[in-house]
Amino acid sequence: MKDLWFFLKLFKPHSAWLTGGIFLSLLTAFASIALLTLSGWFISATAIAGLIAVDGNALAFNFMLPAAQIRALAITRTLGRYGERVVTHEATFRVLAGIRSWFFQQLIPLVPGRLSAMRSGDLLSRMTADIDALDALYLRLLAPAIVAAIGVTTVTVFLAFFAPVISLTTGLMLMIASVWVPSVFNRLGRAGAEEIVVLAANFRIRQIDMMQGLADLIANQAYERFSDFLGQFSDLMINTQRRNNRLSAVSSALTLLLSQIALLMALVLGAISFKDGLLSGSDLALLVFCVIAAFELVMPLPQAMQMLAKTRKAARRIRQITEMPPAINSPTQAIALPDSFDLQFNDVSFRYSDQQAWVLKNISLTIPQGSKIAIVGASGSGKTTLLQLIMRFYDPEQGSVLLAGQDFRHLDADALLNCFGVLSQRSQLFAASIKENLLIAKPDASATELDIAVKAAGLENYIGYLPEGLDTWVGESGVKVSGGEARRIALARLYLKNAPVLILDEPTEGLDSDTERDVFKALADFARDKTVIMVTHREAGLGLADVVYGMERGVLREL
Amino acid sequence: MQLTETANQVYFDKTKAREKTCAGWLKEQGKAVRKLILFAAIAGIINGLGVIVQSAVLAFILQAVIIDQLPWASVITPLILLAAVFILRSLCVYWHQTWGFEAGAQVRASVRQQLFARFLALGPAAIKQRQSGDLAAVTLEQVDALENYFSRYLPQQIIVGALPLIMIIVVMPVNWVVGLILLLTGPLVPVFMALVGMGAASANRSQFLAMARMSGYFLDRLQGLPTLKLFGQATRELENIDRIADDFREKTMAVLRIAFLSSAILEFFSAVAVALVAVYVGLGLLGLIHFGPAEHISLGEALFVLLLAPEFFMPLRQLAINYHDKAAALGAADAILAILEQNTDAMDTSCADDSHHDKINLIEINDVSKSYDQRQILTRINLQITAGEKIVLAGESGAGKTTLLNLLLGFEVPTEGRVLLSGQTLNRESAAEAIAWVGQNAYIFHGSIKDNIALADPDASGQSIVNAAQAAGVTEFSAQLPEGLLTPIGERGYGLSGGQVQRIALARAFLKNAGIILLDEPTANLDAANKALLLDVIDQLFANKTLIIASHDAEVIHRMDRRVELQQGRLVS
Repeated sequence: MKDLWFFLKLFKPHSAWLTGGIFLSLLTAFASIALLTLSGWFISATAIAGLIAVDGNALAFNFMLPAAQIRALAITRTLGRYGERVVTHEATFRVLAGIRSWFFQQLIPLVPGRLSAMRSGDLLSRMTADIDALDALYLRLLAPAIVAAIGVTTVTVFLAFFAPVISLTTGLMLMIASVWVPSVFNRLGRAGAEEIVVLAANFRIRQIDMMQGLADLIANQAYERFSDFLGQFSDLMINTQRRNNRLSAVSSALTLLLSQIALLMALVLGAISFKDGLLSGSDLALLVFCVIAAFELVMPLPQAMQMLAKTRKAARRIRQITEMPPAINSPTQAIALPDSFDLQFNDVSFRYSDQQAWVLKNISLTIPQGSKIAIVGASGSGKTTLLQLIMRFYDPEQGSVLLAGQDFRHLDADALLNCFGVLSQRSQLFAASIKENLLIAKPDASATELDIAVKAAGLENYIGYLPEGLDTWVGESGVKVSGGEARRIALARLYLKNAPVLILDEPTEGLDSDTERDVFKALADFARDKTVIMVTHREAGLGLADVVYGMERGVLREL
Repeated sequence: MQLTETANQVYFDKTKAREKTCAGWLKEQGKAVRKLILFAAIAGIINGLGVIVQSAVLAFILQAVIIDQLPWASVITPLILLAAVFILRSLCVYWHQTWGFEAGAQVRASVRQQLFARFLALGPAAIKQRQSGDLAAVTLEQVDALENYFSRYLPQQIIVGALPLIMIIVVMPVNWVVGLILLLTGPLVPVFMALVGMGAASANRSQFLAMARMSGYFLDRLQGLPTLKLFGQATRELENIDRIADDFREKTMAVLRIAFLSSAILEFFSAVAVALVAVYVGLGLLGLIHFGPAEHISLGEALFVLLLAPEFFMPLRQLAINYHDKAAALGAADAILAILEQNTDAMDTSCADDSHHDKINLIEINDVSKSYDQRQILTRINLQITAGEKIVLAGESGAGKTTLLNLLLGFEVPTEGRVLLSGQTLNRESAAEAIAWVGQNAYIFHGSIKDNIALADPDASGQSIVNAAQAAGVTEFSAQLPEGLLTPIGERGYGLSGGQVQRIALARAFLKNAGIILLDEPTANLDAANKALLLDVIDQLFANKTLIIASHDAEVIHRMDRRVELQQGRLVS
């Protein structure tokens, strides 16, 4: 519930739309009840008037007004329904758009350190599907509940004008149907619902087990045994769902029965009042029809309760991400960045979590500004982690990393990133034009600057060949860019950013030897007066480095 | 983004065609549970009939009380009848929902079975291409998303076909003008809704793309968020996210504004029918209308038709509510079909000629090549292995060793050439029968060490499992665990070292007692001391078996009788 309240707070900026939607829902509901009620009264009144007329009395019944009212109500109900639909959905989508950008904003401090273990597909499904699922919070829960509450009260008060006893019984039945039934059945079903969550989690674990160990299972002729077991698990889940479905079927049946009991009581009590002369014939019909129509108010509530669990889960999943503490904490009072860029590792040890093995062990390393080092080692030896500590994706568990003698922990993390230019084996291209992809590195770059960067990165032939030149769309859904071209675009970004420290993480991995030579040639030129920290397991780039270190199982030594 | 009208159209057509396939598949699944769907529908129809009876009785009572002023005694029976109908209707609501559930539940169980069978058919090589978490989500959530389509939408479709018709037939003899009003407004509803639907379809096109674009954009930016941050552009990107999310809202609302017209039309006809009926019978009762049976109408008849008028549209309204169940099921079917329709390598099991087979060769690889798309992994491999041989398959990583082993295990089939096992074309079943395999990263399942050793033979005697554990050196470390061999392990052997996992896997292979032992890089992840220990164990365990080890470790190569080497997919001796 706490999670849902949290999101309700995010609804606030759109409260005008939200209340407008509820107002229109109420209008429609009232028009719908009034239409049936008035029609029932009208027919009975005309029937009685007709009888009198047959008896020879002059016709005194004014049929024009109620007939016109009936038509007006029919139109109000139609237009109201349409307006309600449009406004409630407009409100919902405004809220969702707001939540989406709020979510993205929450992610910014979490990357890359905290979210590196999460798959982007998972994040995406939280940002799209889970946020979409929050639509039920207003559309199916909040709005129907408020409409039911106001509607039930109004109908009860209205009935009291005609027959207080009937008002009492109907009000009681409506209350039971709208409050007691949903809450009782929600409580009865909770154990089952929670059981399903647990079963589903186990099912997921076992299936993942089965998929990841598929080869072992097939080779050991054990797949059938495992899949049968999962099948039994599925049956178990379905059995629990069956029990819950039965509960919900009983609650639907009960809601119907309550409406029928209210009707029966209104009918009997009304007939007694009529026989006692306390109620006119047409008012009796009015009451009966009003009671029938009023139960439409509470019909959507049991289903709303079923949505509750799902919505709550989606809210939970979104909050799981946004409540993560960032991997690093920026100091409240950051020191201004120093002018020099000497880097230093002071007896640094690091592991990703308490349960995992040490990735870096007691690393001490000094990288004076302008020096060029290379680190070689097998994959998994901790090279990339070392680079990540330099960029402060994480803080070391022991020891410290210093910039010009200042501990990283005292510097502003975002400002620190300005010192680094990165070229890695993954060149992230955005779905945008080449130009926009370059401008990410320097949004205010002039055309000349872009030109120079493009030339330096050896991109000019490639761009000259494209009909749309720099405006060519790349990335997903755009022109296909080869690995080498993507690397060159990343190289051009490196030029534009012109940062004092270059971090090269396997910069030519996956490139053919010609491109590799080009990239290193360009780098050698560009990096002349910069600090270079390169990680590689290829010979080619080592000429760039003054000192070469070897990394093995988290231990660094000079070669 | 570059979005042209044609791209839009192509995208939409593709989606439409796919939707058709999915709808066809759903229909196919529904066949097995036709009876249950019918039962659920019948319960719904009986409930509808209950509404008719209830309206008639209610109208009769009101007429009897208000107009005829009959004594209590004469309305007792109708009141009891009314109560009986109420109970019957409540029961029908219950049955409708429970039978519907059974239909959905049966389909879901059967689809899960189909998926499990499919995973097996696809085999490890194809399954590895996909995230196992995604696959679990398909068998779990997506399959569950099918439920309401079968439990609610399909029964409601039948109800919509039957109930309004029955109501018209009942109303006609009572008051044919009202019957006519219903008859005319009823069928108009689907017609108008179809017209609106067509309008919505064209608006849908741009919305489809807006949604795909939004997802694509978000994924792009989520993946690139570290890069954006590196360049200090993350906060700036928020504006774009805002814009895209808002654009999506506008496109969606454009569609919904039209789509809601269909519910407005339903509402309109339902409201108009009530109003028309009320005014017509009302004026008839006053004697102001002489058209049709108006003059002879009684209050009871009037109230009866008035009560039925809104009920007439109820089934259609419910169907409109269930419509999103259909959309959800179509989406789920798409994800499920993506797995069920994925191509498997055609496994050639029929071929079994051994006319010119040399009986000495246990395994024969004849002219085998393997390629994925454009990439050639293995080229014209020829290799004969006789029973009892100890052979090492050497080569750098990426030379094709693992692919060759996968061919031997039947996990993959050669693009060209054949692999024979005892003279028969090898397939996955015969390979699993004859070969015990320990992969590079042997998988440890949730369960105890004992369960993991007895993977191939869960009914193995406790003694034989202990023997295998001892022989492979598992007992050396399991003895120090609180529950010995019964200690639960799992999630990739959490808590065990690489060497320990290897030993469990070796015990597993030993217990299986197959003729051929296939080991893939058994010494990777081990330090020198452990390596020597393990190789000793291997020597002892499999002394009298045919042993094939893939490795580029010098010590392993040294210990084996025969060495074949792969270089860039070719065998060199």
